[in-house]
Amino acid sequence: MRLWQVFIKSIREQKRDLWVVGLSLAFAPLFVFIYWLMTGGTGTTAYHVLVINQDVPVAVDALKVTAGEDIVTRLQNLKYQNGSPLLKVHLEMDRFRAEQKLRNRNAAALIIIPADFSAKLMAFNDGEVAANAELTFVGDLTNPLYTVADVMVMTVTDTYIQDVTAAPRPVSLVEIPLGGSAARSEFENYVPGLLVLAIILMVFQAAMTPARDIESGVLRRLRLTPLTSFDYLGGISLWLGLVSIIAVVLTFVAAIALGFRSQGVLLPAVVITIITSLSIIGIGLLVACFSKSVSQAFVIANFPLGFLMFLTGAAFPMPRFHLFTVFGHEFALADLLPPTHAVIALNKIFTLGAGWKDIIFETAALILLSLLYFGIGVRLYQKTQMGIVKHLS
Amino acid sequence: MPPTVLHTERLSKSFGDIKAVDALSLQVHEGEILGFLGPNGAGKTTAISMMCGLLKPDAGQVFIHGKPVIGMRTLVGVCPQENILWEKLTALEQLEFIGSLYGMRPKTARRRDAVLLEELGLSNKADQLAGKLFGGMKRRLNLALALVHDPEILFLDEPESGLDPQSRVLVREYIRSLSKRKTIILSLTGRRLRE
Repeated sequence: MRLWQVFIKSIREQKRDLWVVGLSLAFAPLFVFIYWLMTGGTGTTAYHVLVINQDVPVAVDALKVTAGEDIVTRLQNLKYQNGSPLLKVHLEMDRFRAEQKLRNRNAAALIIIPADFSAKLMAFNDGEVAANAELTFVGDLTNPLYTVADVMVMTVTDTYIQDVTAAPRPVSLVEIPLGGSAARSEFENYVPGLLVLAIILMVFQAAMTPARDIESGVLRRLRLTPLTSFDYLGGISLWLGLVSIIAVVLTFVAAIALGFRSQGVLLPAVVITIITSLSIIGIGLLVACFSKSVSQAFVIANFPLGFLMFLTGAAFPMPRFHLFTVFGHEFALADLLPPTHAVIALNKIFTLGAGWKDIIFETAALILLSLLYFGIGVRLYQKTQMGIVKHLS
Repeated sequence: MPPTVLHTERLSKSFGDIKAVDALSLQVHEGEILGFLGPNGAGKTTAISMMCGLLKPDAGQVFIHGKPVIGMRTLVGVCPQENILWEKLTALEQLEFIGSLYGMRPKTARRRDAVLLEELGLSNKADQLAGKLFGGMKRRLNLALALVHDPEILFLDEPESGLDPQSRVLVREYIRSLSKRKTIILSLTGRRLRE
């Protein structure tokens, strides 16, 4: 079977060019490692918070009230479900130095607990309704970490004040986590996207492999043989599909080693990644159609890579630009890119523990789009490179 | 007269304003050697590319045994002007690969490959990567790849270009021996005319 011969030839060639394949395969696991480092090396981001505690403890009926210290302790005890700290609290004495740290983004927020904090809380408890202590929050509002740290510190402080003053609340806030999302670390939330990214990065291989045959002229030799476009592109696709699967497996293993746990079964995830790789191969072939050399293919492949990486939510979540709604499904611009559906499906599987039934729409959209991209890629490659041509490359 | 193997009818090709081939009509009979002689840029490679079915003519047609060339390409072997090789495959792997594409059985292909490597003085380089072969050896491997499937018509585009004197003698002798059993169409530049 000629398709198989092309596949074997590709393996032989790549075996002797291992560093290129190796680099391609190492890229996505490296991304996993970088994301893990980004989330503090524990899989969860710990927000650095500075506290200037000026509170002077007060004695009430032989009891010492240390509200400032209590808040610091509560902030220090705030933890993710996996036990790692949510906040890293640093006690400061000097406001100027603390603000310098904020400016240098060495910390996300500064909280200043006033000297009369304990006294004012006790006065309120004793019925002095007008008693008011001013807790100050300082931060760079353009720093995205500030917003998160600020909300957490405010919640902790508010809860503490509620506990100490026992003031009634007219509203109770109830949080219901979807699936197993409560138990997920920040790092784990990135992993589904990174698995899709591992496949997206194969666009280089998918573009450069056929471009190599164009550049070296061997495609001209192949065109003289009875090799059909189907055999040639099928053989190449088989090789690229194999590399994509290896890339996903390596990325998955790297993620597991760094603390990732799946909430769902793996089979649907495997199928999703295989279908996605088909679309990436199609896009790679499209790139190769417009390339005369490997270096040209590499440069051109950067453009689809940028779109696929950033618009599909593979690298990080992106806002959706809503276009229209069909059967209750909102369509966005990014939905035209197959990896978008792969990211959503893998998120559902890994984070929410979804099964086949829950990802029917994403799977159908992924299959349709992948076949479309692969079909266009193959057809255009056949037309521009495989048949009788108007110009010799 | 031996039967006509290949004939062209008013074959023409232009690249922009340049007319590379202009209404070329010819007939080649079985066992003949047809030479295209001319300086660089005369249109020899263009004519050969159209005759073997790689390049689409602007006008005219090519027939092999009276049928359009597109369906008859398996009867053709082409040794292009430049070395077209898989740099990361050994000499033997290349021959095996091309043989498999022509549907040759592994046993037949192995025998054929061994003969070709022997005849072209490459037996001791069978397991060497093409990228590591010297220029003359690459050229000979280039020729061997055109012959793997034992084609009836052989197109040789500048078969001696880039060859060292020793390889040139070997290749010339080899082409001479081939001419007894094949129809050969070759192109040569002006400076080789006397030779």
